[in-house]
Amino acid sequence: MSMRKISFGKAINEALHQEMERDDSVFIIGEDVAKMGGDFGVTRGIWQKWPDRAKDTALSESAIIGLASGAAVCGLRPVAELMFADFIGVAFDQLVNNAAKLRYMFNGEVSCPMVVRAPTGSGIRTAYHHSQSVEPWFMNVPGLVIVAPSTPYEAKGLLIASIRNEDPVIFLEHKSFYSIKGDVPEESYEVELFKAEVKREGRDVTIVATMSMVALAEKAAEKLAEEGISVEIIDPRTLFPLDKDTINRSVAKTGRLVIAQEGPKVMGFGAEIAAMVVEDVFEYLKAPVKRVTTMDVPIPFSPVLEDYVVPTDVDITEACKAVVEF
Amino acid sequence: MALLKERLLDLYYKMVLIREFEEVMDIYAKNGTIPGFVHLGIGQEASQAGIVDALKETDYKYPDHRGHGVSILCGTDRKLVMAEIFGKGTGINGGRGGSMHINDIKVRNMGFNGIQGSTTVTALGTAFASVYKGNKDVSVIFMGDGTLGEGACHESINMAATWKLPVLYCVINNQYAISTHYRESHPQKQLATWADGYGVPNEVVDGNDVEAVVEATERAVERARNGDGPTLIEYMTYRWQGHFAGDPAAYRPDEELQEWKNKCPVKRTKARLLDVHGFPEKILSDIEKKVVDEVQSMLKFCLESPEPDTKEALKHVYAGFGEEI
Repeated sequence: MSMRKISFGKAINEALHQEMERDDSVFIIGEDVAKMGGDFGVTRGIWQKWPDRAKDTALSESAIIGLASGAAVCGLRPVAELMFADFIGVAFDQLVNNAAKLRYMFNGEVSCPMVVRAPTGSGIRTAYHHSQSVEPWFMNVPGLVIVAPSTPYEAKGLLIASIRNEDPVIFLEHKSFYSIKGDVPEESYEVELFKAEVKREGRDVTIVATMSMVALAEKAAEKLAEEGISVEIIDPRTLFPLDKDTINRSVAKTGRLVIAQEGPKVMGFGAEIAAMVVEDVFEYLKAPVKRVTTMDVPIPFSPVLEDYVVPTDVDITEACKAVVEF
Repeated sequence: MALLKERLLDLYYKMVLIREFEEVMDIYAKNGTIPGFVHLGIGQEASQAGIVDALKETDYKYPDHRGHGVSILCGTDRKLVMAEIFGKGTGINGGRGGSMHINDIKVRNMGFNGIQGSTTVTALGTAFASVYKGNKDVSVIFMGDGTLGEGACHESINMAATWKLPVLYCVINNQYAISTHYRESHPQKQLATWADGYGVPNEVVDGNDVEAVVEATERAVERARNGDGPTLIEYMTYRWQGHFAGDPAAYRPDEELQEWKNKCPVKRTKARLLDVHGFPEKILSDIEKKVVDEVQSMLKFCLESPEPDTKEALKHVYAGFGEEI
C-alpha cells in the first residue's frame, strides 16, 4: 500500500470520497457539510463531485438524524455530521429511541446502516457546549456502535468499516486531532470494528486509553520506561460494544489497570472498564484500579481553567506509579 | 365526488373490522390477558380506514399511537398483529413491541413509536430515499393532535417543505392528548393552519366521513407523488375510550362523548350504503357476521399461541455484532 502522511481530517475526507465513489447509496447530510465542506473542513470537495449526494440542512439535528435513520432503513448509507457532538442533545431521541432500536423492533428484518460523525472532546477552547465527551451518554444503549479512532490511519479505516457496517454508528472525531498528521495508505481499507488495539506492549501496568488520552499515555509510558516500569497501552477503538477480551487478557498479564479518559469520572467510560475487570479478572489484580479523568465539572472556557480540569500525561504517570507501588 | 359504492362497501367492512378488533382488544386488556398499555381507536375508524385506502402498499406508513386499526389494514396477516398485541411468540415482531410498536417492513408499516413526533423526522428519511432512488412512494405520518406540540414536527415540516419531499402529515384530531384538549395546548382554532407558516397546503376534513377522508387523502397523495411536496390534513374525530383501555376519561364531559357517538363513523357509512346506494340490509349484516368470525378466529390463534422463547430477547440487537454485548 502506498503510504504517505496526511492529517486526521484529510484521512476522514479521503474515506468519504472513496466510499462515495464505491457505493452510490452513500450520501452525506448535515449543517454546512455540502457547499462549505463542513465546519472543520472534513467534507470538502464532496458536494462539488456529487451535488445530489451532499445535503446542507437547516439547523435541525433531530431531522438530520431522523432522516438518516429512515433513509438507512430503505437501504441507503447516510453519513450524517453533527457539527459538534454536544448537539446530539437535540437529536437524542432519534438516536437512542429510534435508530438504536429499529432492527430489534422489526424482528431483525431491517438494518439501520447509518453513521453519525461527531467532533468530540476538549482542547480548542470552546467551553461546555462544544467540548464535551459524549460517549458515556450512549454507552448503555444496546443497538448503537460507538467508534473512537486515535490516529489518522484508524480514522480512515474505521470510518470505511463504519459506513459498511449494518448498524448505527456514532463516529467520534476528537477535534484536537484534525490537523495532526500520520501515515495513511492511499488505497481504501478497513480497520476492524469491535477490536481493541494493543498500542504498546508491557508487563507491569495496563493503561486503557481512548482518543486524546492515547498520546498522553504513550508519553507517560516513555517516562515510566526510564524508571523501569513497563507499560502496556490498549486503545479499545470501538468503545461499545467493547472488545472485553483484549483488555481482560492484558490486565490478567500485568495485574494493574489505569484507565485514562476525557469526560467526567462519574459513570464514565472508565467506570464500565473498571467494573468489568473487577468482575472478570479480579483474582489477577495486584492493586486497586485507578481512573484518570476530566474533573466532574462542565468544561470551562478559559485555557487556564480548561487545562486544569482535563487530565495530563503527568496525571497518568502518577496513577501508574501509584498502582505499581501499591 | 362520492366513492364507488363497491369501494364504500369494502370500507364499511374495514371500519367494522377495526371496531370489532378494538372492542375485543378492550376486553382482553381490561381482563389482564394483554400486558401493558393498549390504546384503542374506537370512534376513529373512518380516518384510519380512509387514509390507508388512499395509499399503495409501497407507500411508507407510520401509524400513530392508536395504530391497531391502521396496522390491520396495511396487508399484514391480521392475526399476527393481534398476536403482537398479546405479546406472543407468533406476533409480527416476536413479542418485542406489543400494542405500541407494531412494525412490518414487508408492507411498509414502519411502526408506531412510543415517543410522539419521533416518526415525523424518521419519515423524512423514507421520503428522501424515494426521491434519491427516483420512485414515487409517499411517506405518510399518522399523528394525533397532541403530537403537534413536539419540536420534531417543526423540523420535519420545515425540511419536507423546503425540499418538497413526498410526505403526508395526517393529523387525526381526536381532540384530546390524554386529558388535555387541543385548544388548551395550541393557539390555532384548527391545527391544520399550523402548516400555513411553512407554506404547506392544508385542509380540515370531517374525520368521521370516510368518503371525505379518502378524497382529501388521495388529493394530497397525488401532490406528493407528483413532486409537489407535503400536505397536512386535519381529520376531525373523537376517541370514544379513554387514553388507554381502562382509563375512565373523567376529564371530558359525558355530553361531548354522546354527541360524538351520535356521529359514529360506522353507523354513518352504513346509513349511506342502505339509503343512498340501496344495498340490502342482509349484505351489511353478513359483513358484520363475517367480521365477528374473523376476529374470533384471530383471537383463538392468539390465545393458543406460545409465549416467546426467552432466547429471542437477545436476538437482533445488532446485525454486525454477536448476541452477547
